[in-house]
Amino acid sequence: MSSSDLSCAPQSPQPSPQALEQAAEWFALLRSGEARDEDRAQWQRWLDSAQENDTAWRYVEQISRRFEPVRSSPGRAAAARGFGIANTRMARRRQALLGLGALAGGSGLLAWAAWRHTSLPGMVMAWTADYRTATGEVRNVALSDGTQVWLSTASAFDRDYRGGLRRLRLVAGEILIQTAADPDRPFVVDTPQGGLRALGTRFAVRLDGDVTVVAVFQGAVEARPADAGAMRIIQAGEQTRFTGSALAATQAADRAREAWTRGILIVENVPLADVARELQRYRGGHLGVAPEVAGLRVAGSYPATDPDRALAMLESVLPIRVRHTLPWWVGIEPRQGAVPGG
Amino acid sequence: MPSPAPARSIEELYCDHHGWLQGWLRRKLGNSFDAADLAHDAFLRLMQASRSFDDTLAARAYLRTTASNLCVDLWRRRQIEQAWLDELAARPEVAAPSTEHQAIVVQALLEIDAMLRSLPVKAANAFVMAVACGMTDREAAEELGVSTRMVRKYVAQAMLHCLRLEARGTAAELPAHAPADARPA
Repeated sequence: MSSSDLSCAPQSPQPSPQALEQAAEWFALLRSGEARDEDRAQWQRWLDSAQENDTAWRYVEQISRRFEPVRSSPGRAAAARGFGIANTRMARRRQALLGLGALAGGSGLLAWAAWRHTSLPGMVMAWTADYRTATGEVRNVALSDGTQVWLSTASAFDRDYRGGLRRLRLVAGEILIQTAADPDRPFVVDTPQGGLRALGTRFAVRLDGDVTVVAVFQGAVEARPADAGAMRIIQAGEQTRFTGSALAATQAADRAREAWTRGILIVENVPLADVARELQRYRGGHLGVAPEVAGLRVAGSYPATDPDRALAMLESVLPIRVRHTLPWWVGIEPRQGAVPGG
Repeated sequence: MPSPAPARSIEELYCDHHGWLQGWLRRKLGNSFDAADLAHDAFLRLMQASRSFDDTLAARAYLRTTASNLCVDLWRRRQIEQAWLDELAARPEVAAPSTEHQAIVVQALLEIDAMLRSLPVKAANAFVMAVACGMTDREAAEELGVSTRMVRKYVAQAMLHCLRLEARGTAAELPAHAPADARPA
């Protein structure tokens, strides 16, 4: 096999289309594991029969050489598989971007405005995730092993059930998982901050900016931040939050982390600003709160999947006014004449 | 390599547009480190292309297009890198690669990705699986869940695609973050 100089600009003329096709066929045959000695002899004859064949084969070798660093790596199988997964995902993104308008979901203007308020990379990853919900949508899916997953508004996750592992990656928003028992296959959830291992359970995982929140309702979950050596088991009735490097103290599980699956926002003595932020996740667009009323405490159950009704309910129990400047631009301000209480 | 644009006009372009470009990238990417890197790379490309512009609008349109392409390249790089690391994590028997080794393998995968970008996904994935892992058609067929006949077809299809690029000379184009001399010897 000729392995002479590596110059990309051969002195000989360009190979004809047929020579390129033949070279590709020969390559596919010779590396297939099914080539016989007669085949190799034929190939040698083909190579010697015309200059352009020799040139074409030189190209084949150049291309093959690009794989060398991968081929000689102990992680090559992982690299090839990883490439396949990434490539598939990226192809889906191209298709998604072509259908941008349709994909934004919900009513046109509201959806467009919601899109503008999110940073692009996270949104794009959500578009190409295996499972996702639009703004305001709450949905439940059953995975192939019987595990149930509820997705909150504007949430997305990828599923990877190969090998001896059941793995989800939470890409956006919040999910509640009820795992199906499978003694042979551990169940893990990855987030940008680290990982969780389910120990036979029902639990919610939520992305809150740079923090992962996990609340457990049945069984137990092992929480492990990416960089920290620390790991902790969270039991039913408990919750915690962690960044990539730190794990916060365990607290009592917030009922709200389960109530959303029924389309309900449960609020137990929380500042209005936080309630507004949560409602915005379901409503999209902009939902601002004036500083004078941002600290008003709120309690009760509100319809998360009908955020405008929730806002109307808030308006009826608090000294506030909800101003709809535009459908997707809403402000909460003090009601005139009312004095905001502590 | 084309002769670089006269130094003075590049300086002017830099003064006029670098701050704006970096801000645009920061908003698009959500972080300032990547934004600084890509702004730098965009101006490098501008220098290599030795372009001149009639006005600010034309210059910014060019820079914005270049920067957008660099964003896509960066995203692809991260996707490929992360997918590989995820796969390695699921294989505890393979020792974690050194940072240097990682960089070399990721760079090779990016070059391969650049070659295969406009190829149908299944053919590209089969090609990489067969060639990168040195699998026989039968092994690759089992791994991918297709017939050996399909594997042979995909490999030939992909190689032909690459050969055409090679013949046109466009296969030599390196992905965004590669230093000029990163090609394997």
